[in-house]
Amino acid sequence: MGLLEVKNLKVHFPIHGGIFRKVVGEVKAVDNVSFTIEAGQTYGLVGESGSGKTTTGRAIIGLNSITSGSVIFEGQDLALKGVRKQKNIRKDIQMIFQDPYSSLNPKKRVLDIIAEPLRNFEKMSPGEEKRRVQELLLQVGLSPENILKYPHEFSGGQRQRIGIARAIALKPKLIIADEPVSALDVSVQAQVLNFMQDIQKELNLTFLFISHDLGIIRHMCDHIGIMYKGRHVEQGTAKDIFDNPRHIYTKRLIAAIPDIDPKQREKQTEFRKSVSMEYEQAHRNYFDEQGMPYPLKSISETHLVALPEKG
Amino acid sequence: MWKIIVRRILIMIPQIFLLSILVFLMAKAMPGDALSGMLDPNIDPAAIDAMREKLGLNDPWYIQYWDWITKAIQGDFGQSFRFKMPVSELIGQRLMNTLWLAIVTLILTYLIAIPLGITSGRYNDSWLDRLITGYTYIGFAAPLFIFALLMVWVFGFHFHWFPTSGSVSPGEVPGTLSHFWSKFYHLLLPALSMALIATVGTVQYLRNEIIDTKQKDFILTARAKGASESRVYNRHILRNSLLPIAAFFGYEITGLIGGTVFVESIFSYPGMGMLFLSSITIRDFSVVTALVLLYGVAAIVGALLSDIILSIVDPRIRIK
Amino acid sequence: MAKTSAEIALLQETDKSPSGFRIVWREIMRDKLALVSLIFLFAIIAAVYGISLFLDQKEIVTVDLFALYEKPSAVHWLGTDYGGRDVFGQLIIGTRNSMSIAFMVTFFTGIIGILVGLFSGYFGGTVDNISMRVVDFFMILPFIMIVIAFVSAVPKYNTLTFSFIMTAFLWMGIARLIRSKTLQEKELDYVQASKTLGSSNLKIMFTQVLPNLSSIIIVTMTLNLAANIGLESGLSFLGFGFPESTPSLGTLVSYARNPQTLEFRWWIWLPASLLILVLMLSINNVGQALKRATDARQRKG
Repeated sequence: MGLLEVKNLKVHFPIHGGIFRKVVGEVKAVDNVSFTIEAGQTYGLVGESGSGKTTTGRAIIGLNSITSGSVIFEGQDLALKGVRKQKNIRKDIQMIFQDPYSSLNPKKRVLDIIAEPLRNFEKMSPGEEKRRVQELLLQVGLSPENILKYPHEFSGGQRQRIGIARAIALKPKLIIADEPVSALDVSVQAQVLNFMQDIQKELNLTFLFISHDLGIIRHMCDHIGIMYKGRHVEQGTAKDIFDNPRHIYTKRLIAAIPDIDPKQREKQTEFRKSVSMEYEQAHRNYFDEQGMPYPLKSISETHLVALPEKG
Repeated sequence: MWKIIVRRILIMIPQIFLLSILVFLMAKAMPGDALSGMLDPNIDPAAIDAMREKLGLNDPWYIQYWDWITKAIQGDFGQSFRFKMPVSELIGQRLMNTLWLAIVTLILTYLIAIPLGITSGRYNDSWLDRLITGYTYIGFAAPLFIFALLMVWVFGFHFHWFPTSGSVSPGEVPGTLSHFWSKFYHLLLPALSMALIATVGTVQYLRNEIIDTKQKDFILTARAKGASESRVYNRHILRNSLLPIAAFFGYEITGLIGGTVFVESIFSYPGMGMLFLSSITIRDFSVVTALVLLYGVAAIVGALLSDIILSIVDPRIRIK
Repeated sequence: MAKTSAEIALLQETDKSPSGFRIVWREIMRDKLALVSLIFLFAIIAAVYGISLFLDQKEIVTVDLFALYEKPSAVHWLGTDYGGRDVFGQLIIGTRNSMSIAFMVTFFTGIIGILVGLFSGYFGGTVDNISMRVVDFFMILPFIMIVIAFVSAVPKYNTLTFSFIMTAFLWMGIARLIRSKTLQEKELDYVQASKTLGSSNLKIMFTQVLPNLSSIIIVTMTLNLAANIGLESGLSFLGFGFPESTPSLGTLVSYARNPQTLEFRWWIWLPASLLILVLMLSINNVGQALKRATDARQRKG
């Protein structure tokens, strides 16, 4: 059994319209998504913007309400009312946000930012609290003297480290990282990613890693789920997805990863060509009449693909 | 399009309903009632009580409200005990004066605001712009009643350029040109005082709009393809900036209502504002309630008109 | 252009701290008009509240039939009014009363507006819908007339009830503003982060969102203060503000409603009128400077 099991998760948003602003329809942001994350591993959720990957993450941590389905964390269903009120559950799941500029309150000092979760859950004396914050700063590679500074005095990468320090302050088990590096310079991205991996080993963290960048996902993740229009089109181990992509959408995403090795260039170009040909010819084989992906079916023990029944 | 209008009208109905309840309860809370004015040692108190009963003044408030509102909808606001005439008739006499004052003020406001705003925005940071900005700066801070008082003191009493009270010179025969001229002459200074203050918001809005629009890409494109400066202004900038202003006039009504009370009082101009003040002083409450209701409805309808026009003019609002 | 070392030091210093206060201070120092206005305001406040400690309000409002309509003289610096009362004394006390009530109304409307705006914007949905319909309704009420009607309807009428009546019909502007800013703020990730970190909604509203609205609140309250002085004196001018035993600036101006006084006895109403004008102008100057300080695009330097 995994640390987190998401089963048939649906998140729908109502559309209001008409004279009385009645609900006239709904957007199925997340539509029947299931996956499992094992403790200590990293699960990557990939998709273009609007595919529902961020909403999935936000629904797990409770920022979006769940329409139906279950989110079982250590045996407890977070979709049930009242479960989330338990302190240890709220402590155990934390989040790293995409934008390091807006995710830190500009009017707060670093001390107050990192101490916010401590103040909510642990009864610490101001001295203990300060020591803990300094410790956390060290842990994320920042100088402990920074505690009285304001967020705008740091670079994007440093800010993201502060965000990480805040997320690990309560020693959580699961961290949802929503595009944690996409707002950063490419040169800083690798640093932060490697640092996240280090800290994962150190604290035995489990990551749900949300990104649109398959290159980063390949670097970070053990298991991967590809999302399209609120549904999964393919999921499996990193090896399954990258070595044996079965869905045309996955293939196109992989074909789009830039490759700097010039020897591979011709092979790459050929692969791209064949993929886009296949996409044009066989689009109908992969999507139903509304252009939505089919339900998943397993093709190996770990590998699931959204293909029509007849194959 | 029609959806917004219908929605907006549906919002308006409860507003008017609430307003009428508020006004009615306020009237009830005021000391005395329609009969207190008739108190007279020669009338038997028992007779007054009987009359109260007959007029329904001892009924629960919602029944009285229903009576009052159904009559009010038909234009019957009861009797003014001061003037001994139906309130609707009394207001009717004053309504035209205030209406003319408001219309002339609105016209003057736009006549002043548009050229000033355009000049200020087009030649921003010139000395002319600074002068206009200075004027709006003072106009924004100056309260209307002080400004109007200074106007009547300087131009009315000191220079004797304008009449200082009334709406028409005595002895003018209605219907003649000189009667019309005298009326206009009497309301010119009050209207000008109000307009000079009311114009400030519009000038500032127009200036900001033009300065903002000037730097937009589509203007730069228009210039780049060689459109003359006046064409750029007339076809591109002003078209974008003036339409919303045309729509704001409905919102201006709320401001005008407050303004007319002050200005009519200062210029002793016999309009609804003066009537309101004198009625409340002598506690002629049937007149007061009718006036508050009327002004409130005017403000609601004004806002409605502006919202509708704005939604036609500005497609962004339509989506909302 | 070469910068002096002092300028560079100043730049570095301001880069270091985002605290609005320093930026505000710098902006006001740079804006000479605002600086003069600020000093003037402090001087007026100090003078008015100081002098009024030594003035006897009862004595000033007592009618003296032997000194009606006296011109300014050494005894009565600004002459006397129709009751022989000293205009200068009334001016001081009137300014004090007008300022006090403007402060009070600004404070009360600020509290209500901030609370309504925060709750409305933060929770959104039905809460927002209902409170915004209430705001819409209050917005269309003809303020002057409603207040006048209330003033004459309230039986036990004093300065406090007057300020409550004014407050009841003036809180909507700031509520609307705070609401729209809260709507923007709550979408920012730091609010979402606070939620995931276990902070309660109340805590987020008051300790996370509110500090980010502080500058806009200060600006609005300053501009409201000026407006409230105008509204109060306007109402007193019409005769529906303070009772006559409590003179306000508007009470003095209201003597000008007598054409004789308006035309021939300027000393009664003109000083109060000019004082209102100058007070409102200076508060507005300070408010506009604050506004520029909070909006980086408009800063002078």
